[in-house]
Amino acid sequence: MAPTPVTSDVFNAIAAADRREVLDTLLAGEKAVGAIVNDLSMSQPQVSKHLRVLSEAGLVRCRVDGRRRLYRLEPAQLRPFHDWLAKYEQAWNARLDRVEDYLKELQQRGEQQ
Amino acid sequence: MTPNRHGSAVIEFPSDLEILITREFDAPIALVFDVFTKPEHVRKHFAPFEEEVTVCSIDLRVGGDYHIVMVTADGIECSFRGTYLEVEPPTRTVQTWLFEGWPDAEAVESMELTETDGVTKLTYRLTFRDQAGRDHMSKYDGLLSSFDNVEDYVAQISR
Repeated sequence: MAPTPVTSDVFNAIAAADRREVLDTLLAGEKAVGAIVNDLSMSQPQVSKHLRVLSEAGLVRCRVDGRRRLYRLEPAQLRPFHDWLAKYEQAWNARLDRVEDYLKELQQRGEQQ
Repeated sequence: MTPNRHGSAVIEFPSDLEILITREFDAPIALVFDVFTKPEHVRKHFAPFEEEVTVCSIDLRVGGDYHIVMVTADGIECSFRGTYLEVEPPTRTVQTWLFEGWPDAEAVESMELTETDGVTKLTYRLTFRDQAGRDHMSKYDGLLSSFDNVEDYVAQISR
């Protein structure tokens, strides 16, 4: 399979912790906006704003059921981003963990002198 | 033995063009500054995994250049270079950043350090000049790893 390019919209949509929480709560299944607001410590306008961004990035899909708008996860869009982020995060953590170990080593050496 | 802070780097994306990484170290600010700016130290930690650092030259003054090359286990050379724009020991450096694999991705990186009660906080910021540069970061160009469980990976990114 050819590598899937990730649009910057997906990248930005997922980069905010609040929006990741919105995605997380949709894991359990399709939910109305009110139910998402109940699940999270966010106001309805905040949740609506996040849903709009997520929707534009193709990460959630909305359908209308009577007076309710129901949102569900479109996880296929997330995979390339997640793979990239995991790799990037892993590399930075590995490097900075190495810095920490090295700093400890230098400090111990300093104390011994 | 003090517990370590492994895995505690926080990665954020404050805008379309920026990547922000923060991490704390249990060490005085002057030592942390040296470890990030002196070639004999940078050599020891620049490579995150099993890469070998083959070039590490740093001319730490405004207008001075740095050049760091690491070679991955499968022989791929990754070369980073740039010029210092600001040098203020032990709190701050700002430098241009160019990865030779992405010649159109010009960026500026900055490192800021602050010390509180013996703990030094690193704030690292990479700012691309334009979207074309930043898009390199978010384009996935590796092999797609297999995944079957939607919950697992969404839970991971939602930590």
